[in-house]
Amino acid sequence: MTTTLTDRPARARERLRRDAARVLLTNWTGTSTVPSHTLYPHQWSWDSAFIAIGLRHLSPRRAQRELESLVGAQWADGRIPHIVFSPRVPLDAYFPSPDFWRSSTAGRAAGAPAGTETSGIVQPPVHALAAALVHERDPATSRRRGFLERLYPRLAAWHDYLLRDRDFTGHGLASVVHPWEPGMDNSPCWDGPLRRITPAPPESFRRVDLTHGDAAARPTDLDYGRYVRLAADYRDHGYRDAGTPHPFAVEDPGFNALLIASEHALAGIAEQVGRDPRPHRERAEALTDALVRHLWQPKAGMFLCRDVRGDSVIEDRSVTGLLPLVVPSLPGHVVDALLGTVTGEHFGLGTGTRLVASYDLRGPAFDPARYWRGPAWFNINWLLERGLRLHGAASEADALRRAVLDAAGGSRFAEYVDPYTGEGHGANRFSWTAAVALDLLAGTAEEDGR
Amino acid sequence: MLKTACQEQLLPGDTLQEKWEFAQNAGFDAIELRAKGDHHFRGRLPELRAALKDGVVMPTVCVDMLHFFGAFDADLRRDAVEQMKSQLSVIAEIGGRGAQTPASYGMFSRRLPPFEPPRGEEEERAVLLEGLTELGEHARKEGVHLYLEPLNRYEDHMVNRLEQAVDLIRAVGLDSVRIGIDSYHMNIEEADPAAAILEAAPYIGHAQVSDSNRFQPGAGHLDWPAWLAALHTIGYDGYLAAECRLTGDPVGAVRSIPGFLRRSGA
Repeated sequence: MTTTLTDRPARARERLRRDAARVLLTNWTGTSTVPSHTLYPHQWSWDSAFIAIGLRHLSPRRAQRELESLVGAQWADGRIPHIVFSPRVPLDAYFPSPDFWRSSTAGRAAGAPAGTETSGIVQPPVHALAAALVHERDPATSRRRGFLERLYPRLAAWHDYLLRDRDFTGHGLASVVHPWEPGMDNSPCWDGPLRRITPAPPESFRRVDLTHGDAAARPTDLDYGRYVRLAADYRDHGYRDAGTPHPFAVEDPGFNALLIASEHALAGIAEQVGRDPRPHRERAEALTDALVRHLWQPKAGMFLCRDVRGDSVIEDRSVTGLLPLVVPSLPGHVVDALLGTVTGEHFGLGTGTRLVASYDLRGPAFDPARYWRGPAWFNINWLLERGLRLHGAASEADALRRAVLDAAGGSRFAEYVDPYTGEGHGANRFSWTAAVALDLLAGTAEEDGR
Repeated sequence: MLKTACQEQLLPGDTLQEKWEFAQNAGFDAIELRAKGDHHFRGRLPELRAALKDGVVMPTVCVDMLHFFGAFDADLRRDAVEQMKSQLSVIAEIGGRGAQTPASYGMFSRRLPPFEPPRGEEEERAVLLEGLTELGEHARKEGVHLYLEPLNRYEDHMVNRLEQAVDLIRAVGLDSVRIGIDSYHMNIEEADPAAAILEAAPYIGHAQVSDSNRFQPGAGHLDWPAWLAALHTIGYDGYLAAECRLTGDPVGAVRSIPGFLRRSGA
């Protein structure tokens, strides 16, 4: 490749870099970064991982702190909670708030920390991948601070939790127990499994997301009631997976693909800290085999979610089924089919859309503006860019990188965008949007140099 | 890339030309001058003109006196203002950008006995505004800037944080008065130095660098990448002037500064 990015001259890139840096410097709170000061004023698990990947270009120390502060709230059972609440933020600034989750009391038996309030569910395990990338950016600072030595046992315990307590089927894959766990909160994939859930009564909770967000782009009240019911039931069972009925349980390909990528990263981290990397490599390979065996759907040309309680394939095509592109050792025919699907009629990258949509463009539930039912997300597109590059689709990766950078700057670092037009939705000055832009900009600098 | 400068007393050599030779080899882009009182700086004009002719880059000067425009004593205050005006004229004459001064240094600290300064807050503010206005008008006339440097709480009791300097500069209302930030003082006073730079962005005119322990950048524990990223973010186009003490071999210590700042993102 000799692309020189003539459509993004150095000055425009420098401006984008400054604007992205401003977002991350402004959203820093001293120990971590809020996704958005308005809509999301606490620390989110997978947000922090993507933020660290961008923050490493501004301050390796802050990037390390970002991940350290997150794992500082890890539970004794190994889970990394999806939200770590800031005690400085008023209770009513976000729902479900700490007094809903009650982690320090309800989660005590499961090992929730006593001095920090968190949620009780999790988000995709992208943290080891982030930690490895943060280390790579400045190994000297990382070694001096003992970054990987401190993180390694925590990350290993996190992966242990997922494969010990969340493998409900014996397939060797982790299940998610709430639509918020795979990170794609309102995906049409969850509509089927959610129908079984009796919503919590509307008067039992008060949404805050609608105060800052556009209701037409957010989940419906009925779905929100179901989210609340699932979380409350988990809480009322002490957040112990063995004792909770978990009426919602899904094997999600993206979630497991990120676990595999992180398991590979953990092998590298183990080597750095003088530990045996082989168990991690073996676990990554076993996970890869299980992923392909149980979730690969050749007719769809992609991975599909599995409804564990209904013992059935969820036929909706979600971008989660393309995320296994980040897995290094996929069978060749799977890679070929995935590359075809990314650019094919259902996702249309490069022909129909500028960024990869979160959901099937031809799907019955497609909506280019509604939360996880069509819009494009920047962290997802960062992962796909990485996956395309990993599997040799360099020109597609370069094109996607340019599109992501244009959409990030053009939308003022929106939370998510219309995949066709790049029009921004949700919060703006959103941290992971700025973070992945910074990281991709660093990649364009390398491209210029080759 | 941000440009770097080194204060003249840190550089080996007997003349500015010799110091410049060393500074350039080390990777500095300029020399920051130091100005003593009693119009000593004005007396150096022949030396400075000769250095300028020989290509020495000298964009800024930092005051090197023991009384300042915020002094309690009216006579000392008057003298400090006169000295600063003269220093602004000299730096203008050699084509520089500006002169840096704190409100005071070593005169009083609210953190040390007797804790309460002899002047009330209203009077302090009036003194500062009067001094900054006179100096700012002189700087404007000369086409240069006066850089007001917030110092940490143990060295000055009046202007410690960037927001206090911004407040005074807004009240003065002169573009010729800017803030001269200093990484060492900011480390003590600012909750988040990088965020403070973003907040005060339009008012920042100059930057001095030393590490958390006042030694050369790289010898302490400041988060330099974050601090420098903030300066890049606001489009800062001035110098990073090393004003520090040195630890280790002094020549090696000075030589290490530009490379360290570059590696940290300058």
